[in-house]
Amino acid sequence: MTRFNPPALEIQDVDSFYGELQVLRKASLRLQQREVVVLFGPNGHGKSTLLKAIAGIHPAAAGSIRYLGEEISRTPSAQIVEMGVAYIPEARNLFTDMTVGENLRLGAYNRRARSQVAQNLAYVFDLFPRLAERRDQIAATLSGGESRMLAVGRGLMSGAALLLIDEPSIGLSPIMKRAVFGAIAKIKSARDIAVLMVEQEVEHPLRLADRVYLLKKGRVILEKPAAEINKAEIEQAYF
Amino acid sequence: MNIKEIINTLVSGLISGSLYAIMALGLTIIYGVIHVFNFGHGIVAVLGGYFTWLFLTKLGLGLIPSILLALVFMFFFGLLLFKATINPLLKTPNWEFSTIIFLLGMGILLENLALQAFGPRVKHIPAFFEGSLKIGFVRVNWHEISLIGIVLVFILILNFFLKKTWFGQAMRAVAQDMDGARIVGISITRIFGYAFAMATMVTGFSGILLGTKYYMTPHIGWDWMVKGFVIVVLGGLGSATGAVYAAFIMGIAEALATLYLGSLWVWPIWFLIFVTILLLRPQGLAGGRTL
Amino acid sequence: MMIAAMAHWKKIGIILGLTFIALYPLVHGDTYVMHIFILFFIWAVVASNWNLLMGYAGIFSLGNIGYFAIGAYASGILCKAFGWSPWVCILMGGLASMVCVTLFVGLPALRLSGIYIALLSLIFADSLPTILTQTRSITGGAMGLHDIPPLFEGITRLQSYYINFALFLVMLTIIYRTIHSSTGLAFVALRDSRSFAKALGVNEYKEKIKVFALVSLLTGITGGFYVHYLGDISPTTLAIEPFLLAIAMMEMGGIGRFPGAVLGAVIIVFGNEFLRLAGTLRLALLGALICAIILFFPGGLMQFIDWIDLRLTRLKARRAISS
Ligand SMILES: Nc1ncnc2c1ncn2[C@@H]1O[C@H](COP(=O)(O)OP(=O)(O)OP(=O)(O)O)[C@@H](O)[C@H]1O
Ligand SMILES: [Mg+2]
Repeated sequence: MTRFNPPALEIQDVDSFYGELQVLRKASLRLQQREVVVLFGPNGHGKSTLLKAIAGIHPAAAGSIRYLGEEISRTPSAQIVEMGVAYIPEARNLFTDMTVGENLRLGAYNRRARSQVAQNLAYVFDLFPRLAERRDQIAATLSGGESRMLAVGRGLMSGAALLLIDEPSIGLSPIMKRAVFGAIAKIKSARDIAVLMVEQEVEHPLRLADRVYLLKKGRVILEKPAAEINKAEIEQAYF
Repeated sequence: MNIKEIINTLVSGLISGSLYAIMALGLTIIYGVIHVFNFGHGIVAVLGGYFTWLFLTKLGLGLIPSILLALVFMFFFGLLLFKATINPLLKTPNWEFSTIIFLLGMGILLENLALQAFGPRVKHIPAFFEGSLKIGFVRVNWHEISLIGIVLVFILILNFFLKKTWFGQAMRAVAQDMDGARIVGISITRIFGYAFAMATMVTGFSGILLGTKYYMTPHIGWDWMVKGFVIVVLGGLGSATGAVYAAFIMGIAEALATLYLGSLWVWPIWFLIFVTILLLRPQGLAGGRTL
Repeated sequence: MMIAAMAHWKKIGIILGLTFIALYPLVHGDTYVMHIFILFFIWAVVASNWNLLMGYAGIFSLGNIGYFAIGAYASGILCKAFGWSPWVCILMGGLASMVCVTLFVGLPALRLSGIYIALLSLIFADSLPTILTQTRSITGGAMGLHDIPPLFEGITRLQSYYINFALFLVMLTIIYRTIHSSTGLAFVALRDSRSFAKALGVNEYKEKIKVFALVSLLTGITGGFYVHYLGDISPTTLAIEPFLLAIAMMEMGGIGRFPGAVLGAVIIVFGNEFLRLAGTLRLALLGALICAIILFFPGGLMQFIDWIDLRLTRLKARRAISS
């Protein structure tokens, strides 16, 4: 018997360590399908670590992570990607000596996505026309904003049903920020996709999001619908 | 010095350069993808040659089947070596150091086993073609022409493989950004294993080609390996394109040094070029580009 | 009493070991065994120096046998050509090694890291045999140098034994002091956190050059003692076997652990004598040994000693509680 519409993501009591240092302490959160959720929190309190745990890049030490009802906390990252989870890291991790086109194609490396390269490529180029223009440019020579677009585009190429985006706006000019958030808004409206986004910037994401979580000292301390919270309240919670 | 000598020298430089190119590519693939420097490179090349020789003389297979069989052997040898030893070592904190010492030890073990099995006497692999071609005053063996041809075709195939296949692209991805590769769903260990196996096969192939042009002894691998080191450093560690250019440069430099200074000087010239690159441009010709 | 002894078991071990070495020639004094002991003194120093460079300073040098050979050759040549006192020649040999190595490996190494230093030092040592065969009139070429005068006329095996034992003690003391000096600490800091060490004012270049100079000087001097003890030397010193032996000693003892290389040298030097039974397979076995240690026993003997230490401490604690 399949469960009726399991949540896109369900995290329970996740602990994570770097060596001796415990970063996540029983962190829990949940995403419904097609929901956009923003995770706020002060610097260095474990937001990126949580995304890495979900993506299997830095697996959790304890706790459960379920994706569409399936436990993935012990699953190798390659398999998690294939199941439909795309992680777009803050550091971007582009293939710097390859062209934009090659980077995007590699986004569709997993077996499920390989048959849909052309389709997804068209979608990404439609979302970021700038990338289409620079298709044959080497990734190392892209500007900060462009490489952020490429990182998001590469994530979308995997045909994911759950997108984990780490600080997409960091270091971008206001215009570029708008372009990136605009694209995420488009993804939200057009695709059958859930988004978990980590952000420092508050205004844009609040407009996009359905719900908001706040992570502090490795714990999720607050959960609210985006409509019921404002910037001041979030910033206050930081201290 | 007349023009005839110079042209002959350039041709022989081109021939050895092409052999050096294929030899250096094996080293480059492993370093580029796994960041391990294969200090067992020399003996791996020699083993490729010895396997071919073995199949040729003891099993009575033809030259081509012997080579193919040897390549298959080398591939699986590489895969096994990686899975059983290098991969666990990579997970230790001191991996850079341990893998190098391990591969050194492994090289010496295999070298002396080869010595035991095949004896110290010089062995050859027969030439692919007999006869020679004469254009004007330049005379080249058909075999040597075929070597250049084989290496060029090989480089084209490798290039196609790296640029156009999923697997080759995945190898480049791992070489350029390991976390990035993981993020798009590439299994690092798998790529490492196959890259190591492939490089072992390529290195074995280079040993076969070297064995047709020069000769093989169990010890000759060290000389090949040191030449390979100089070439990959000149080209820029981990850069395939750089390694190929550097191989031809060194092939021609070696031929010129032999012509003008005498063969005794060849080895010091290698060392001199090596130190000069390290001092002036440690990143090599390719300047930090990856596979 | 028992407990106190356990706490100092390592010190007691060292004292017992040194006493044994000091008394051996007097009690038993087999000349062949004494010869093996002398080789042990020399190789223990070479391997400990190497360990200082590689294990402590983290400089991936693979050419230390070359540094050894330069000292040995220089001392032998000076002694034969000019008839100087061997003691002076040994010192000059050490200086020659220091100058060559600092110039050709140390200085370039300042700009290089990890694998590049490994390649440079390996190729440096690898080019020495070529140089030797091309300078036959001075170095004896492939045949090597023979009839190198001993340290003094009519030296006996017993005297050589104690002289090299003294060398061993002095060298190890210097290495020990270096490890615990500001230079040693600087390297520990550099190893743990490069940026933090620099913030503390550690001058990486200066420390690197210092350790290169010291290690090549000490290794070269040891080469001098070696050559005047044996009386001849040839390019085979630079062949793969001594290199392997020294690496195996370091590995066996535990890389980056102080007396580790000495313990490794005990086992390898004496073990190598048994390995001679294996004939032509000896080098293969040595290669296999190196691989096996790294795969299955990466911490070497020092790790084993730590393990015993831990056990004893626990035992001691348990006794203290129960009493
Ligand atoms: N690879 C690592 N090794 C050791 N410690 C790490 C590592 N990555 C992160 N940390 C530490 O873990 C803690 C949480 O890091 P994390 O990147 O998850 O924070 P964050 O909430 O994403 O912060 P920011 O908003 O600055 O991105 C920090 O103290 C950081 O120093
Ligand atoms: Mg972060």
